[in-house]
Amino acid sequence: MLFIIFYFQVHQPFRVSKYSFFDIGSSKSYFDEELNRYVFNKVADRCYLPANEMFKELILRSEGLFKISYSLTGTFLEQAKLYRPEVYKSFLDLWQTGGVELITETYYHSLASIFDLDEFLEQISEHFELMKREFGIEPSVFRNTELIYFDKLSDVLLNFPQIKTILIEGADRILMGDSPLYPRLSYNHAHLLLLKHYKLSDDIAFRFSDRSWSEYPLTAEKYVKWVKDLTLIEREGKNLYLCLFMDYETFGEHQWKESGIFEFMKKTIELLLQEKEIKFLFPSEVHQTLNYTPKGLSVPTPTSWADTERDLSAWLSNSLQWNAMKTVYELLRKAKSKGRSELIPILKKLTTSDHFYYMCIKYFQDGDVHKYFSPYDLPENAYKYYINILTDLEEKLEE
Amino acid sequence: MKVLMLTWEYPPFIVGGLGMACYGLFKALSELGVRIKMLLPTEEEVFFEINNPYEADFPLAKRENGEPLSPAPLKFFNFLYKIPEESVYAELKPFLESVPPEIHKKVEFKEVPEEVIQRLTKILSQGNSLLYKVFLYTQKAIKISQKTSFDLIHAHDWLTYPAGLFLKKIFKKPLIAHLHATEFDRALGFGHPVIHEIEYLGLTYSDCVIAVSNYTKGIALEHYYLPSEKIQVVHNGFTAKEKIVKKIKKFKEPVILFLGRLTPQKGPTIFLEIAKKVLSTGIKARFVIAGAGEMERELMLEAGSMGIGTHIMFTGFLTREEVEKALSLADIVVMPSPSEPFGIVALEAMYFENALIISKQSGASEIIENAYKVDFWDVDKMVEIILDLIHHPEKMKSLQKKAKAEVQKFTWDGPAKKVLSLYQRLLKEGSCSS
Repeated sequence: MLFIIFYFQVHQPFRVSKYSFFDIGSSKSYFDEELNRYVFNKVADRCYLPANEMFKELILRSEGLFKISYSLTGTFLEQAKLYRPEVYKSFLDLWQTGGVELITETYYHSLASIFDLDEFLEQISEHFELMKREFGIEPSVFRNTELIYFDKLSDVLLNFPQIKTILIEGADRILMGDSPLYPRLSYNHAHLLLLKHYKLSDDIAFRFSDRSWSEYPLTAEKYVKWVKDLTLIEREGKNLYLCLFMDYETFGEHQWKESGIFEFMKKTIELLLQEKEIKFLFPSEVHQTLNYTPKGLSVPTPTSWADTERDLSAWLSNSLQWNAMKTVYELLRKAKSKGRSELIPILKKLTTSDHFYYMCIKYFQDGDVHKYFSPYDLPENAYKYYINILTDLEEKLEE
Repeated sequence: MKVLMLTWEYPPFIVGGLGMACYGLFKALSELGVRIKMLLPTEEEVFFEINNPYEADFPLAKRENGEPLSPAPLKFFNFLYKIPEESVYAELKPFLESVPPEIHKKVEFKEVPEEVIQRLTKILSQGNSLLYKVFLYTQKAIKISQKTSFDLIHAHDWLTYPAGLFLKKIFKKPLIAHLHATEFDRALGFGHPVIHEIEYLGLTYSDCVIAVSNYTKGIALEHYYLPSEKIQVVHNGFTAKEKIVKKIKKFKEPVILFLGRLTPQKGPTIFLEIAKKVLSTGIKARFVIAGAGEMERELMLEAGSMGIGTHIMFTGFLTREEVEKALSLADIVVMPSPSEPFGIVALEAMYFENALIISKQSGASEIIENAYKVDFWDVDKMVEIILDLIHHPEKMKSLQKKAKAEVQKFTWDGPAKKVLSLYQRLLKEGSCSS
C-alpha cells in the first residue's frame, strides 16, 4: 500500500518598516502595517480562499478518503484575524470537514531551535495553546521552521510527550541512497520521522509552471503515473509513505491560477482516489499503519527544505544574519529577565525566520528566490532596518 | 570682475565635498562683488548666474541667450552607463572654428598648444561613460560661453579641466585650475591613466593652480612636476548656518561618528578597526558609519562578523539635513582618511560641537588646532584617545566647546579674499605667482 501524506505550510511574517537610523527614538511603528495588510490580502485572494474552497470540495466529495494536513503559524492566525477574518473562518470551516489534521510548530516560525532552546520550547507551548484555544485540539505531529531538523532536536522535544511524529526534509545527504518513502526513527528512537519526497513535492511547488522544465506541461495523468511507479521499489509488502510537503502559497500564489494548478490538483486527487493501492493519510496515522519497524536515522547537522543546500544557509550564511539573529535573542533574554512584558511579543515577532531570509546575499539561483520573496530592495537595507529597530528596543530596555 | 566657473557639483546636486566647497567659495566671492557664471553638467544647455549672495543659495538657470530657463527643474546627467549616440563622436573642431577671434588682449597668456587640444579631443571620444559626460560638458561649455562675457575661467577638478582648456584656447582668457582632489587621493596611489593625464594637462596649461592644502600642493609638485610658485594654497572654509546648532541626545551611550563616502580614500575600514578595539575593552559606545559607497557591503559583513550587535550602525546615504542631524547627535567625529586633500567634514564636525580626531594626511589638519591629529594607520593611538575622552567627559566637553569656538575663524571670507586677489594679480601680471 502507498500512503500519501499532504502537508501545507501556512505562514505570514510581520515584515518590518523601512526604519531608518533617524527613526530610532521616534514613535514610528516597527512593523509595516500597510505592507503586511497588502500582502495578506493579495495572498488571501489568490491562494487562501480559492485553495481552501478547492480542498474543502475535494474532501467532501471523497467522503472522508481525501485527507490533508496544515501547519498554521501564530503570526499567520494573528494577521488573518487582523486583516481578513474571512480567511480565519474559511480555515475553521475547512477544519470542520474532518479531512484536515493540524500540526504544531513554533508560534513565530523562528529559528529558536538553533539559538535559544528555552525560547524554542516556549514558542512551541505558545503554539499548543493557540491550537487548543482556536481549534480545541492537541497536535501530536511537529514540524520545525522550514523543516529544520537535527538529532538534538528530538531530545529537546521529549519535553512534549504528546509529540510523536516529526516532519523532516528527505535530504540526500542524510538518506544516503535510501528512499524517503520509508518512515524512520529519530536517533534516540523517540520520534517517528516522516521524510519529504522533495522530487515529487517540488515538481508541484517549484516546477509546475516552469516552461524550461523538460516535463512541462505537467499533467495529472503523468504525475499519477510517477506516483504509481514509486511502488515498484517495494517487493516485500512494506507500506510506503509519500510525503508531499509544500508551502500553501503554491496554489495560486507561486503557481498562478492561470497556470492551471487548481485544475491539476483536482484531477490528480480524483485519479489517485480511484487507485486501490493508494490511500491518503494524516501524518499522525502513520504509526497505526506501519507494518514494519522503521530504521533509525542520524542527522548530526541541521537539514531544512530551503534553497538547494537544504541547510541553514538561507538564514545564516552571512555575518549580517548571524549578528542580527544573535542580537535579537540576546535582547529577548534581557527583556524576559527585566520582566518587560510589553517588549517581549515584539521581540518574538522579530525572531521570525523571514527577517533573516531577506538578509541573504547568496548569489546564484537561490538569490533570485530570496529577492522574489523580499519586500526590500537590498539585503543590506533589510539588515539596516532590522538593526535600527533592535537598537531602539535596546535603548528602551535600558530605561 | 566676471568669472566663468566650471564645476561638476553644486548644491543640491552633491556627490562629495566639491559641491559644498564651491557653494561656500562662490557665495563669499559674490559678496566681494565678483559676478559668477557657472556651468554644471546639466542636460539642458543652461548656465547659472550668481551675482549676489542670495543667488548663491538659489542660482538662476539661464539659456544661452540669457533668458531664464523654464520649465524647471533641471535634468542632471544620470550616473548610469549610457551608450553614446553616434553624433556626439563628431569632432569638437567645428565648435572651435565657429568662434570669432578675440581682438583686445592686454596680457599675453601662455597658449594652449594645438597638440593638447587634439589629444584632449581624442581622449574624450573614447566612449567611456564618464569621459563621454566630460565630452558633453565640454561641448556645452564651448557653445554657451560664446554668448557670455567673462574675464577669466575658473575650473574645479579634472572633470572640468578639458572644458577650461578649450575655452582658454578659444577666448584667450586666463584659466585657473582649482585642485580639490587628485586622482592619487581617490585611488590611494596611481589611478586611471586618462584621469591622470587630464589632471596633468589641466594643471600644466592653466595659468594658475589653486590647491586646497599644502598636502595637495605637495602631491601636485611631486607627481605633476609643476613649478612651486604656480600653485597657491587656499584652504577651504565653512559656511555657517543661520539657525542655532543644538546637540541631540539620541543614545544613552556616547556616539562616535564616521561621515563620508564609503570608499578607500576615506578610510572606513580603519574606523571599523577602531570600533572593534574600543568595544573589545567592554566600554559601551555606539559607532555610526554614515554615508554610502561601494564598500558598504564589505564593511557591513566585516562589522557583522565582529558580533557587535547594534554597536556598529550603518545609516546608508544621508541627505544634507540628515548629515546635520548625524553631526548633532555625535560626540566624537573621526576622519581617518589615508589621503584627504582637505576634509570639510572636519570643520562641520567642529561647528556641530564634536570632539575631533583627524588623520595627519589631511589638508584640514594644517589649519585646525583643536583636534587630535593622528597618522591614519595609527589605530591604537585613536583607540587610546577615544577611550580617554569617554572616560573623561569633562575633557570631551571642553574640547567640543573649543572646537566650536575655533571653527568661527574658518569662514569663507578669508579664502574668498585670497582668491579674488589671485584673480586680480593674474589679470594684471599674467600669472598668480607671488
